[in-house]
Amino acid sequence: MARTRHSDARSRRIGLILFAACAVVAVPALIVLFSMAGNSSSPWFGQYDAETHPAFDFSLADQDGKPFRLQDLRGQAVLLSFGFTRCPNICPTTLGHLAAVYRKLPPSAQERTKVVFISVDERDSPASLKEYVPFFNDRFIGLTGTPADLGTTARAYGASFRKAPAVGSDMGDYMIDHSTYTYLIDPEGNLRVLYRFEQLPETGRIADDVLRVLGTRASGRQP
Amino acid sequence: MNRVLCMLLFLSPAVIFAGDVEVEGAWIRAVPPSSKATAAFMTLVNRSEKPVLVTGGTSPVAGEIKPMITTKQGDGVMGMGFVESFSVPAKGRRVLEPGGDHIMLMKLREVPGAGSVVPLVLTTESGGKTGHIRLEIPVR
Repeated sequence: MARTRHSDARSRRIGLILFAACAVVAVPALIVLFSMAGNSSSPWFGQYDAETHPAFDFSLADQDGKPFRLQDLRGQAVLLSFGFTRCPNICPTTLGHLAAVYRKLPPSAQERTKVVFISVDERDSPASLKEYVPFFNDRFIGLTGTPADLGTTARAYGASFRKAPAVGSDMGDYMIDHSTYTYLIDPEGNLRVLYRFEQLPETGRIADDVLRVLGTRASGRQP
Repeated sequence: MNRVLCMLLFLSPAVIFAGDVEVEGAWIRAVPPSSKATAAFMTLVNRSEKPVLVTGGTSPVAGEIKPMITTKQGDGVMGMGFVESFSVPAKGRRVLEPGGDHIMLMKLREVPGAGSVVPLVLTTESGGKTGHIRLEIPVR
């Protein structure tokens, strides 16, 4: 009996210590999370831009080699990312998460959403994009263009890329260090939300943001 | 006979003890069939009192297997670079995960499809001795 009381007291003590430890860890973590969101009352998961900035209307070529402008997607939400098809880690991770976001959208919202991957590698062609992008989802769009057009487009989105030597490997002469942001563009063609690479696993919350720019987010979740 | 030996060699449990290093949750990323490379991710757990280096590996599907790190350069820019080895600290662990450090499989002889299982032998070094960790890694 004495033994039981002793162990009860001990488990209470352990419980208290655990509670204190959780509070010590959780409170600063929550503060960091909210300060990262910028505004604790923001319903947006990504970094939301309340001001209206038209997204740069690039003019590139799709995986069938046909001219493709962002303007062609007016009326639809666009999830845009930059990369290259020889990229074995970041780009497949990004596109895999975006495929999961897309799957989480109801069919009516999928009809009004496009996922666009712009290759910033001059070695990529419409043909190489056609072998790469549909693997993640056959509705995804792969774009490429002249080095000048790609440079202009990337700069306009604040994205950057540069060649990096691939020493001692079979990765070709070089790999590409590149921006890993994903951009959400609203149906009016405005750049609305920015996601850091580390946020992409939260596919359900990104899907919520997509529904919100489409204006179909349940009103209960609006601010 | 050789095939039987090979099969026996690779018939190993999901959690592998190779002396001092245990590998948990290993997986290989399914990539488009045109890909020239893919990546393996896992957690390396070192049970020993000495650091263990993972220097590379071999597999029937890849001509070259090397440890690779991901670098973050600010403004969301990321790049990758080969390293001589991953060090797993004594009594410690090292996580290889998407968007981070990984084992790079290059010169792919075949691109392993989702649902397949890839035999892979990691090469380790500890205290001047070379070791091997035999893995059967699912592709997803």
